[in-house]
Amino acid sequence: MPSTALQVARTGLDAQDTRMRVIANNLANVSTTAFKRDRANFATLAYQDMRVAGQASSTQTNYATGLNLGTGVGVQSTTRVDEQGTLNSTTNALDLAISGNGYFQILLPTGQLSYTRAGNFTLSAEGQLVTSQGYVVQPAITIPNGASSITIAKDGTVSAMLPGTTAATQVGQITIASFVNPAALQASGDNLYAETLASGPAQIGAPGTAGRGDISQGYLEGSNVNIVTELVDMIECQRAYEINSKMISAVDDMLKNANQTL
Amino acid sequence: MDRLIYTAVSGMSDSMVRERVIASNMANTSTIGFKAEKLYTTPITLKGPALEARAMADGQVKSADMSAGNITQTGRKLDIALLGDAMMAVQSADGTESYTRRGDLTVSPTGVLENGDGRPVVGNGGPITVPLDAQITIGPDGMVLVANPETPNLPPQPTDRIKLASPSGTTTAKGLDGLFRVVGGGVLPADENARVIAGSLEQSNVNPSEVLTQMIQAQRLYDIRTKLIATAKEVDQSGTSLLRISGS
Repeated sequence: MPSTALQVARTGLDAQDTRMRVIANNLANVSTTAFKRDRANFATLAYQDMRVAGQASSTQTNYATGLNLGTGVGVQSTTRVDEQGTLNSTTNALDLAISGNGYFQILLPTGQLSYTRAGNFTLSAEGQLVTSQGYVVQPAITIPNGASSITIAKDGTVSAMLPGTTAATQVGQITIASFVNPAALQASGDNLYAETLASGPAQIGAPGTAGRGDISQGYLEGSNVNIVTELVDMIECQRAYEINSKMISAVDDMLKNANQTL
Repeated sequence: MDRLIYTAVSGMSDSMVRERVIASNMANTSTIGFKAEKLYTTPITLKGPALEARAMADGQVKSADMSAGNITQTGRKLDIALLGDAMMAVQSADGTESYTRRGDLTVSPTGVLENGDGRPVVGNGGPITVPLDAQITIGPDGMVLVANPETPNLPPQPTDRIKLASPSGTTTAKGLDGLFRVVGGGVLPADENARVIAGSLEQSNVNPSEVLTQMIQAQRLYDIRTKLIATAKEVDQSGTSLLRISGS
């Protein structure tokens, strides 16, 4: 029993420590394009059933309540808070931001599709629209050699002035993917997210249709981390850690006292 | 040796259980919608032909502190905080209706509205399901409003109302899964006047300064009970030395 109170307090330290990691990651990504902050979700650990409610306390009576002792807390999951980040003007024709729901589809070298909201795209040597890591945006959009004034409309239509022409020609169509439960997408680094069973399959369509956001050319979506909120969370987390560590020293003192007195 | 020490030991063990309950409350200072557990100690008098002087301490977690936790704004549409003493009905693992104050809701890939514990939220007709591609908002009375993204100009349509139950007048107790149930079975009546705030969450109602005070109190009580055993030991020793034949 004595060690259990120590163990319960330890779970509190562990959980607050994990939460601090989440906060640290949020703060570290305060300038990352289209970063969505994470929130640590806590859940009580299993309860230990010392005495079942309804168990006979004598031949005539039953215990009205049980003795259920909690075994502490754990970080159950992290929820990505999908609030829109602020749009920052860059005046770069290939910088795209999504205002509203949805993700750009990216083809990884492994052949798998991945999703991102970071629209800081460039052109590859072949004229294809690629991410800064060189992954091709899906569906592939190729800007012909020598084309000028690339325009990407709100609905994702890509047009450009081809050499020797006077009117803009449509060269492609950007589509975006939306998910039933976007919070369940798995973050895989490099601003990319992967589809999971819990997120549901990607539903692909043109921007502005079926609840998907519009595309803003010449803008990048900033991180949605609010520094002040994170700092307040950090202090709160630090204090919670402190009181949990006090608990450990209190139980330790109790055991020490028993050890010395008896 | 006197039986006093057994009584004192029951007290020491009670202090340790108390410390454990406090540790668990303290660990849950950041758990959404958590209600602190309360430990009650009752003296158990040993009946018998002898003088009824021995009362063992017996602790039990009888109920939870139902006071409201702080409400903080999160900006997430599906986060709801319950006002007053209302409780949200969810389906527990065994299929029965249970109650919680934890309102961080999500939509599962099958369209079931669930809270952060993964428990389906119960409406007027069982667990609430929503169309997969819909945009969901929750009204102040717990009504789940569904907007079809294909027709952005139409107002969101109500689907089902989250069952907000009133626990007043009924004894509820926290089960092993941390959910509240009606003691002895049954369900709570829906409260038509219950309100929720969307975009906010109710934090744990553990009060750190109160918990720290309780912790020190339990610690000192343990020390005193330890002292009691030490005193019993002294009494016993002096008694034994009196009986010892002097000079041997």
